[in-house]
Amino acid sequence: MDTAGNLSYLSERAQQARPVQPGTLQDGSRIAVIGAGPAGSMFSYFLLNMADTIALDIDVDIYEPRHFCHRGPAGCNHCGGIVSESLVQRLATEGIMLPEDVVQRGIESYTLHMDVGDVEIATPLNEKRIAAIYRGNGPRNSEPLDTHSFDGYLLDMAQNSGARVIHKLVTDVRRNMDGMQVTSADQHCDTYDLVVVATGVNSRLMETLEQQTQEFRRPERTKTFICEFKLGREVIRNTFGPSMHVFLLDIPRLEFAALIPKGDYVTLCLLGDDIDDELMEKFFESPEVRNCFPGGVIPAHACHCYPRINIRAAKPAYGDRLVMIGDSGTTRLFKDGIGAAYRTAKAAAKTAVFHGIMAEDFKAHYWPLCQKINNDNRVGKMVFAFATLVQKARFARRGVLRMTVNEQRQASVTPRMSGVLWDLFSGSAPYTDVFLRTLHPAYIGSLLWNLLASNMPGHAAEHDLQSESEHRHVEH
Amino acid sequence: MSSTESRQSAPAEQPFRTLAQQLEKLPPCQAQCPNSGDIRGWLGIIAQHEKLGLGLQDAYDKAWQRLTELNPLPATLGRICPHPCESLCTRAGKDGAISINAMERFIGDWGISRSLALAKPAPEQHPESVGVIGSGPASLSFAYQMARRGYSVTVYEEHDLPGGMLRHAIPDYRLPRDVLDAEIRRIFELGINLERNFRIGKDISFDELRDRHTLIFLGLGAQAARHLGIPGEDGPGVISGIDYLRQRKRRIASLTGKQVAVVGGGNTAIDAARSARREGAGVTLLYRRSAEEMPAAAHEVEDAISEGVKIRYLVAPTRIIRQGTEIQEVEVQAMRLGEADENGRRRPVPVPGELERLPVDAVIAAVAQAPNWRGIDPLGDARNWLRTEEDGRLDNNIWAGGDDRGPGIASQAIAQGRLAAESAHAELREEPAPPRTPTRKPVESTNVKADYYRAQQRVCSPRRAEHDWLSNPELEIDQTIDDQQALQEAQRCMSCGLCFDCEQCFMYCNVGGFTHIEEAGPGRYLALALDACEGCGKCIEVCPCGYLEARDYTT
Ligand SMILES: Cc1cc2nc3c(=O)[nH]c(=O)nc-3n(C[C@H](O)[C@H](O)[C@H](O)COP(=O)(O)OP(=O)(O)OC[C@H]3O[C@@H](n4cnc5c(N)ncnc54)[C@H](O)[C@@H]3O)c2cc1C
Ligand SMILES: Cc1cc2nc3c(=O)[nH]c(=O)nc-3n(C[C@H](O)[C@H](O)[C@H](O)COP(=O)(O)OP(=O)(O)OC[C@H]3O[C@@H](n4cnc5c(N)ncnc54)[C@H](O)[C@@H]3O)c2cc1C
Ligand code: SF4
Ligand code: SF4
Ligand code: SF4
Repeated sequence: MDTAGNLSYLSERAQQARPVQPGTLQDGSRIAVIGAGPAGSMFSYFLLNMADTIALDIDVDIYEPRHFCHRGPAGCNHCGGIVSESLVQRLATEGIMLPEDVVQRGIESYTLHMDVGDVEIATPLNEKRIAAIYRGNGPRNSEPLDTHSFDGYLLDMAQNSGARVIHKLVTDVRRNMDGMQVTSADQHCDTYDLVVVATGVNSRLMETLEQQTQEFRRPERTKTFICEFKLGREVIRNTFGPSMHVFLLDIPRLEFAALIPKGDYVTLCLLGDDIDDELMEKFFESPEVRNCFPGGVIPAHACHCYPRINIRAAKPAYGDRLVMIGDSGTTRLFKDGIGAAYRTAKAAAKTAVFHGIMAEDFKAHYWPLCQKINNDNRVGKMVFAFATLVQKARFARRGVLRMTVNEQRQASVTPRMSGVLWDLFSGSAPYTDVFLRTLHPAYIGSLLWNLLASNMPGHAAEHDLQSESEHRHVEH
Repeated sequence: MSSTESRQSAPAEQPFRTLAQQLEKLPPCQAQCPNSGDIRGWLGIIAQHEKLGLGLQDAYDKAWQRLTELNPLPATLGRICPHPCESLCTRAGKDGAISINAMERFIGDWGISRSLALAKPAPEQHPESVGVIGSGPASLSFAYQMARRGYSVTVYEEHDLPGGMLRHAIPDYRLPRDVLDAEIRRIFELGINLERNFRIGKDISFDELRDRHTLIFLGLGAQAARHLGIPGEDGPGVISGIDYLRQRKRRIASLTGKQVAVVGGGNTAIDAARSARREGAGVTLLYRRSAEEMPAAAHEVEDAISEGVKIRYLVAPTRIIRQGTEIQEVEVQAMRLGEADENGRRRPVPVPGELERLPVDAVIAAVAQAPNWRGIDPLGDARNWLRTEEDGRLDNNIWAGGDDRGPGIASQAIAQGRLAAESAHAELREEPAPPRTPTRKPVESTNVKADYYRAQQRVCSPRRAEHDWLSNPELEIDQTIDDQQALQEAQRCMSCGLCFDCEQCFMYCNVGGFTHIEEAGPGRYLALALDACEGCGKCIEVCPCGYLEARDYTT
């Protein structure tokens, strides 16, 4: 290959078209953000605002074919919709003030369901409550809700910051002489200085991109299940209370199952390793689940889907003029995906504005955050493995239940188990923190004691505990 | 609740499945088009030309071919059709219906300018010969469909030139003759014989005609004008709308400088009034009901008014007053609207005592037309329409279509001619009769996601400046959009009920259920592997055009 010739041609072109160094954003630089989930919208918002602080004038195009005003899966980025209060507060400090009709704050506790009994875990002091959101505009065929789409809200915000929304599906991304070429489904092409991939893992674009660039490994994903039951506000208040219901059941491959009340609807969310028919059947047949519903009957559902969830990060999540954020890059295992979208979006925006848009810039300033999340996920896998052990062993379930119930009953007892469970379910703390707390001698001691006490022959603990939990149910 | 009871309602029947399937549906434009034109189909060829691997020119050629399969007169219909297809276009609720009529006109003109020839798919020649009475749109359509199916066809026309009302009545400023000529010539180029100045019932009898041909088509239209039935009507200065328009088509001026009353409220009345304005007459149109009931197309009425036609609503002529043979005045009776008739139109009733005299020099009576059975009366009497079966069968080997079955529009005449040809062909070839009713289920407008489509303004046919209309009386008012506008407008079509390859299902299906078809064709871009579908239902929800739908998981 005639390298010299090529180079001179390239630099000639660069001088003609772009009289600036290509490795950083310049006035007039064009950025394509593919996907307007939380990651894409927050990235655009941060990027434009940060650029503004240094008087950098850039153009941001967000490609998103969906309309978040559509009901059902068409307008939805399907997830449980749980955001921790700390994340809501965190976003507020960034100027992202989620209004009341986007965030619903009706949930005040978790109820843990096991075959050995239930226990309700109150919100830790620093968290106050759990917030729930709808990603889209509510379930399929639903009446207009009094709530608004979370993703739609963030996209509006990005738009207000100056991003242009292009309602088109991106079908191809290629590197070419002038930069990155983005092709949409109507065959139109456009060239950008930087392409930000925020398509999540429920689309095929990452696959195309992986084949196209041969530069990275796309995230690994697994099948989950989500559905919505319409029961009415009244029924929900009476049967579910202001509580999110979490299940620790001995069902292989099921890592997390939760029923989340949201207004007239209850969202069911099953996470694990490839949620399939067999697993779902077991789940719906278990009395712990049935008993949550009025009359012990699983009602007809309004909406369902099988979204994929990221279980292993993209590697690397960047290239020259290319960066993957949110689920497309790295997210937290099973939890707090929106929080991870926020963190990766912000870090990538910061890198692009203040450092550069080439692979080495993202490697130095963006990848460390991804690595941190990835490492924490490794710990997370261990924590989930431990939780699986608990799920499998009835004696362990008894121990956990006893310890939690006691903590919840007596304010003077340090809520070690409650805290661990809370953080595990809500994703409010890194898995590493959760794990370290389980290594605390006091936690281990207490757990051992509870294991013993709850499994003593002839001990009436189980009975006690169940009546205890029933009692708490009645209270709410 | 006992546990067995709750078990019965367990999700054992797999309620968490919304399996997908692809199903083409009937779009409202096609449902409304009297000729069931595949509008979505030919628009799609243009809009998706890149996906189909076609250059824009080829796409326009192909669109013309698709269109002319059912309608051999697109440039003509693109000018005169009142386009019911646009009335329920799904896009209407967003930013205006697709300009289907302007598109048809463009495609028609494209075909003329490129001298495209009508396709004759059947290479074989059948022994039967077909005789066609009349050369209006019904007859032309029948002749065309039979000729391309391999029959030898002879058309008998009592006038010198073919075209029926299109030729002899519709004014030049709406339909230039070279456009009509070009489109009709193309039909006869398929090898159809034309016997001009040849009237069945005069030059030969109907029975003789039957001896000449295996099969006869009657497309006589409605050539006889009805009378007003008032005193003073007989005599010079009174002419029927249709006769007046025939004169004008031959550029004969007779009313220049005169005051004319045109009686009627249909398209013939409006055409006559505007034509009279063009030769310099003062025109007052008399209509016995109010503006709302007026059958003429609203935009034609508007144009007439802007050309200086005065309209008097709720008046009916009662008498034409002459001095000697010269018309002096027309006496009119004021009307009011009474009870609704069986069609729901309110009947005009006279207001007693309110008579008025209008000074006029001439009267054009454009009230109604009827078929003219002179010389062939066994088929029908002078005042009656033909009563055929739905597909146009009148008798053994006699078929009919067009205005002789009742007043209609050109598109309906073309449809009736075509349907008759399809049935006649099936019968001659002893094939099963083609389906009459639409076999596809209609698209539900709620399944079309209008806001998925980018907002874009409707393109309309441009018009010549208004001050030029009367000073250049024969020049056509509406013009044709250009090829870029046509592309834009075609791309506005939402392809209701048929895949247009937006690739959403392909992109979002998590099991990769959709794959691109190598040999893509209009509406056929992606294959769906039914057994791969996990039933998330997402593709059904994202499909903007309503092509994907849920399938029963038990089958
Ligand atoms: C069952 C389940 C439950 C979950 N529960 C929670 C929870 O309770 N709390 C929480 O914080 N997280 C939860 N998550 C995780 C969370 O959903 C994700 O981490 C988060 O949505 C990631 O955001 P994102 O912006 O990266 O991608 P997404 O939200 O997936 O958004 C991607 C966007 O890109 C668009 N797009 C895709 N392809 C293209 C293309 N080719 N062209 C243009 N646009 C395209 C899509 O339309 C979409 O709008 C859950 C996930 C699952 C599967
Ligand atoms: C003034 C006017 C304006 C119109 N404007 C419109 C419009 O804007 N849009 C629209 O869609 N429709 C319009 N129409 C209606 C439309 O023209 C007719 O519906 C259509 O032409 C009917 O077609 P046809 O083939 O049935 O009959 P015609 O068009 O009437 O053709 C019948 C032909 O048969 C010939 N014929 C009759 N008897 C014999 C015989 N015994 N032997 C040989 N030949 C015979 C006649 O000479 C004539 O050529 C208009 C009609 C009129 C009168
Ligand atoms: S949008 Fe297209 S397919 Fe739908 S009704 Fe209109 S013209 Fe027909
Ligand atoms: S998106 Fe795929 S899996 Fe889901 S319903 Fe459609 S074809 Fe089936
Ligand atoms: S989603 Fe798009 S590509 Fe898929 S079937 Fe519907 S129109 Fe065709």
